[in-house]
Amino acid sequence: MKETLNKLLKIDRRWLFLLLTFSILIPIIKPIGISSKSISSGVQDTYNFIEKLPEGSTIILSMDYDPSTAPELHPQSAAILKHAFKKNLKVIIMTFLAGSGGLIDEHIRNIPQQYGKEYGKDYVVLPYMPNVLAALTQMSSDIYAIYDKDKDDKILKNFEMMKKIKNYKDISAVIDITGTALLDSWIVFVGDKYGVPVMGGVTAISQVGYGPYLQKKQLKGLIGGMKGAAEYERLISEPGKGTSGIDALNIAHLLVILFIIFSNIVLLILKLS
Amino acid sequence: MNLIKKHIPLAIVFVFGIMTLASYYVPHRKSENYLEWINIWQNIVAAFALFLGAISLFYAHYKKIERKVDGWGYSLFVYFGFLVIMVAAIVSDGKISDNGKITFLGWSFNNIYNPLSATMFSVLAFFIISTAYRSFRIKSFPAFLLFIAGLVLMLGNIPLGEIIWDKLFAWTNTTIADIKNWIISVPSTAGKRGIMIGIAIGAAVTSLKIIFGIERGYMGKD
Amino acid sequence: MIRKIKFFLISVFIISNINALPSKPKKQVEPQNVKIELPGLELLDYPSDRGDSLILKWDTNDDKDLIYEIMVSTDEKNWKKVKEQKEGSFTSQNIDLPFWIWNKKENKNACVIEIMKVFNIQEEEFFKEYSNGFKLYAKLNVISKKQKSESQTVSAIAIGNWFRADRLNSLIIVLLVSLVFFMVVSHAKKRELFIRRIAGLDAIDEAVGRATEMGKPVIYVPGIGSMSNISTIASVFILGEVGKKIAQYDANIKVPHYDPIVFTVAKETIKQAYIEAERPDSYRDDINMFITQDQFAYAAAVDGMITREKPAACFYMGYFMAESLLLAEVGASAGAIQIAGTDIDHQLPFFVTACDYTLIGEELYAAGAYLSKEPMLVSALKVQDFGKLFFIIFAALLSIVLVISSKAGAINITNTILDILKVR
Repeated sequence: MKETLNKLLKIDRRWLFLLLTFSILIPIIKPIGISSKSISSGVQDTYNFIEKLPEGSTIILSMDYDPSTAPELHPQSAAILKHAFKKNLKVIIMTFLAGSGGLIDEHIRNIPQQYGKEYGKDYVVLPYMPNVLAALTQMSSDIYAIYDKDKDDKILKNFEMMKKIKNYKDISAVIDITGTALLDSWIVFVGDKYGVPVMGGVTAISQVGYGPYLQKKQLKGLIGGMKGAAEYERLISEPGKGTSGIDALNIAHLLVILFIIFSNIVLLILKLS
Repeated sequence: MNLIKKHIPLAIVFVFGIMTLASYYVPHRKSENYLEWINIWQNIVAAFALFLGAISLFYAHYKKIERKVDGWGYSLFVYFGFLVIMVAAIVSDGKISDNGKITFLGWSFNNIYNPLSATMFSVLAFFIISTAYRSFRIKSFPAFLLFIAGLVLMLGNIPLGEIIWDKLFAWTNTTIADIKNWIISVPSTAGKRGIMIGIAIGAAVTSLKIIFGIERGYMGKD
Repeated sequence: MIRKIKFFLISVFIISNINALPSKPKKQVEPQNVKIELPGLELLDYPSDRGDSLILKWDTNDDKDLIYEIMVSTDEKNWKKVKEQKEGSFTSQNIDLPFWIWNKKENKNACVIEIMKVFNIQEEEFFKEYSNGFKLYAKLNVISKKQKSESQTVSAIAIGNWFRADRLNSLIIVLLVSLVFFMVVSHAKKRELFIRRIAGLDAIDEAVGRATEMGKPVIYVPGIGSMSNISTIASVFILGEVGKKIAQYDANIKVPHYDPIVFTVAKETIKQAYIEAERPDSYRDDINMFITQDQFAYAAAVDGMITREKPAACFYMGYFMAESLLLAEVGASAGAIQIAGTDIDHQLPFFVTACDYTLIGEELYAAGAYLSKEPMLVSALKVQDFGKLFFIIFAALLSIVLVISSKAGAINITNTILDILKVR
């Protein structure tokens, strides 16, 4: 008995991997359909903020993530973009991560058409910029001093929607979707310094770390992980990849909890015996 | 030698450290120009460093192939992968898509880089599960508290957690989301604030140590 | 004849002048023509700025329906409308400047005029053309229900300032910290200062010793931060100390890099460590290697390295994000003794569970002082402690005052404290 229990504790981790694989695969193949009942306050705040913006306002959507964190973050940025287009907001899409080019491209190939939006009139895409702090600071006085052209080398200033944009004062909100620490830079260098409302979308794992900013209202809203994306999709009534991934998320989380409880029960029995 | 390896670098650090600190308190355009100028130089130095890095990468793998060390085949793949993506980028003019049509580079991005990156990140889930099973031992009261906090956060992160909570603890008249929010905004935020203040002071003192040449670990010791 | 001509000319003159005389208006007077003297109207250079803004302010009025058209000009001839503003909608109290450079008690209508935006001037052009200041004239058209009148004209020059007086509070803190820093450091050698034991750093010897005995390498991962991260700087310092021990024991070390600048710096550090240990002949150029600047490709490469080489010890010191567990878990399964250190709080749980020793936050910063025992560095640690003590007392005291003042309705005291605390 003791030996078996000891063996159980030192089980080859590949068995655990296999279990997790199945627990993720099965709900993807055969969805159970357990959806989120409540909406997190951070998601609701983000939604409310965008919902209240007057038509024609311009927002910045900074997609600072690459394919690694895309399963969690791509549905978030898609939901934000859809919401903005539904509300007839103008969107400036930008990034500080070289690897996100393809992801931005995927969005602009699919989403604007659904809402009859035109490039240059309703949205523009800025090119990748390596120097984060220089760009964030420069945009406070003159966006065109650092971004004179768009991603296709066309003069940015000539686009219809950019005619009335000069600096942060003409921007109604910034939403930074990221798996990096870039959201902190947006908060500190743009939100705090120039008073632009900043909202964020982050991975579930880093969500907890933004508590202080949310509490101080330095962050106006926060979407956390795939669950956050699913909630946002529900708010705008556009179920997408966030909603479809939630089943796998359910089972995987439950599995982690069960494993912790199980291993501790085994440990307890071993101790008592 | 001491002059080039020690005194001049220290003088550069001191002068630019003080000037950059001062520029925070000078709103004049000249101070902005200075910061822009520093940014440009930083980019130039980074570009050269990247070049050095690339040489080191190719040299290290060349040595592996030359010595036929274990797994030298992978080193061949470094050259192969580098060439393929570079050709793709040149052929596609650095664009992912052109007039809505996906280019060769876009194809490589979607079908090679994208799945590879996502795979690496998803491995994290497997490692979390094995670490949770092997290492999360409730041996003491603080560990028990940690477990409870973790449990609430995990349940609060999934809709199934809400259902389970409502079935078992509906009588408490609180939702799992409320408790999760409390944990995030009270104990976790308090702890995080403490760490942030400590780190900020540490960063300020380290900056002073570097500016005044007391800590020189970063430039190789003398 | 001459008389007749004279009479004709005089009559023409008189008739033309009669036409010029003010006749009784058939219509009402054009509203713009009504000139008024608007009380308290003044134009000021925006304090502590780079010279591109001005503040226009004027006394408030009891008529809350008044609308002001703010007009500006560079020559007093061509006027440009900046915007319309309702009475009391934006006052001098709304301007975000601290009390020591701006009178917050005064309640006047105010408007911030940003020159470049109003006249659509490019930034570069503006600072080139108007480096000595930009003279601006301003006036207001006051629109009430009954009439539209025009105020007197005021003028001011926008000049770039050399000191941001609104950041005086942070400057005082910086000077204070520097002062304490110098006082403590200059007394460094007078007495020995105590640092508590840091198990993670004590274990470095054990880890290097183990690697020597087993004949296996040590892998040192400096994280994915750039050289400007404090944690990376600390990591490079620890690398120097580890490198020295490796050289002394004649063990083997590998340092894979994410950032090319860190790579270049680390190369020098290791070379120096080998020289200090008097083993320059053992130094090889391939100890440090640059891998890639892609986070997960880097993690994959380091994982591959750990799996293939089965190192005796792994060090993870510096700035880490999601790759922390990817590295530490693979290291644990390879059976290496693992020592980690980072100031990224949300990665700490991963290191704590998967590594043997973890340096938490500031312990990493203290590593340089702890390992070198250099009195100056050790005393700098004391500055950190003083700093924390000061902030604890300061925060506690101010919190109490804030709570009392806001409960007692003393808004002025509350605002003054908040002004002192705010970093602009």
